[in-house]
Amino acid sequence: VRRVAILVAVIVTALLLQTTLFPELTLLGVRPELLYLVTVVFAALRGPAEGAVVGFVSGLAQDFMLNSPKGITALTLTILGYTVGLARQYITSPSPLLPAVLVGIGTAAGVAFHQAVAFLLGEELGPLGYVAKVVLLTAVYGAILTPIFFPALRRAAAAPHVGRVVRF
Amino acid sequence: VVIRQRPRSARLLVVSLVAASLTIITVDYRAGDEGPLEALGRATSSALSPLQRAVSNVVQPVSSFFGTLGDLPSLAGENRRLEQELEDLRAAQQLNAELAERVEDLEQQLELARTLRRPIPARVIARSGVSNFEWTVTIDKGSDHGVEIDMPVVTGASDGARLVGKVIRVTPAASIVQLLIDRDFAVAAKLSTTDEAGLVQGRGADDLRMDLLAPDTEVSETEPESVFTLGYVIEGQASLFPPDLLIGTVSRAISEPGSVETYVTVRPAIDFSTLQYVVVIGDRRRGREPAA
Repeated sequence: VRRVAILVAVIVTALLLQTTLFPELTLLGVRPELLYLVTVVFAALRGPAEGAVVGFVSGLAQDFMLNSPKGITALTLTILGYTVGLARQYITSPSPLLPAVLVGIGTAAGVAFHQAVAFLLGEELGPLGYVAKVVLLTAVYGAILTPIFFPALRRAAAAPHVGRVVRF
Repeated sequence: VVIRQRPRSARLLVVSLVAASLTIITVDYRAGDEGPLEALGRATSSALSPLQRAVSNVVQPVSSFFGTLGDLPSLAGENRRLEQELEDLRAAQQLNAELAERVEDLEQQLELARTLRRPIPARVIARSGVSNFEWTVTIDKGSDHGVEIDMPVVTGASDGARLVGKVIRVTPAASIVQLLIDRDFAVAAKLSTTDEAGLVQGRGADDLRMDLLAPDTEVSETEPESVFTLGYVIEGQASLFPPDLLIGTVSRAISEPGSVETYVTVRPAIDFSTLQYVVVIGDRRRGREPAA
């Protein structure tokens, strides 16, 4: 129960920051995708199963704020969480930059996947150049923000089982 | 729920979550705006809007601070220049103060006399949606104040009302407004000098695109031409937007030789990044008979 409460708090906080603070703090006009960041970090810390659950829940939460068909973000983040969780098990690099790199790659792949699905469902995407720019900049921005949010997220991810944290 | 990290259960879990996502996409895609998911979406927005309002009040100064940090190097030179300018402006200010008072008086008169029969003033509480691909704002008025879906949203200016967008989702205490720069937004419009009609569509961060009905329309590139909403009534069907709301000015006219379509790009009259106060037009009577 406590895990769920913490998770909800994390997701709501991310959504709020994304809609209030970060529209003012854009990187060349593009705002970060905080929920992608949350999903990747949780997946990296807790493995594929929880990564998928966190991705699904945060994706669904974001979907409800959007005008496009709901479920696309949930699908994207479920797969993203699972993939990152799986990949993490095979990476042994102790680099402290690893989470940032994972978030960067994960965000780029996730946003691109999201837009591809949206396009298949007949959503208006706009010029490819803009999509590419958003993919690139959200990835960079996510990577930059990771060191800032990582400590808090690690604590949230580890809360009930202190001492069993996967350390980078 | 305790989730064990056994590969098989993880795989099963992911497959079911993916299936759930696909189901949601399908259901929502078919149901459109009526489905149960849209209702859930409304509930989410509704629950989040008070929080957004609170956070927005707190982070405003913080984000302005960080915004300023980036500008520091150029600030010293700008400071000198501004001091000079301040001198000049002080002189002009005296005159301006007087004029401003008169303008304000007139503006209020004008606002009263305008066609807005049921204005619902509102404040922008979240300056954008959650995505990089949708252009919306959240305002602090909802169904409790009479806001309904598809109502036009405008903002006042000394030269008349300017189109902001339309309401696309309503909760009791807040609504979400789709800005006219959103890629899903379209409005019938006309050019100010020739009265030529066309369709204006949002292009996100780029200027709006206005496709003209008549391909041989001459659009002057030298003088700035304004674009207004058309507003029409055809066989009892009224347009969503009342006529003569300012949309923007023509920034570029594009006509490919031999092509049947002509379009112009339109720079919006509003700076959406600083939008703070808007008015929802609550009047159900819209459009007007087309001019003969």
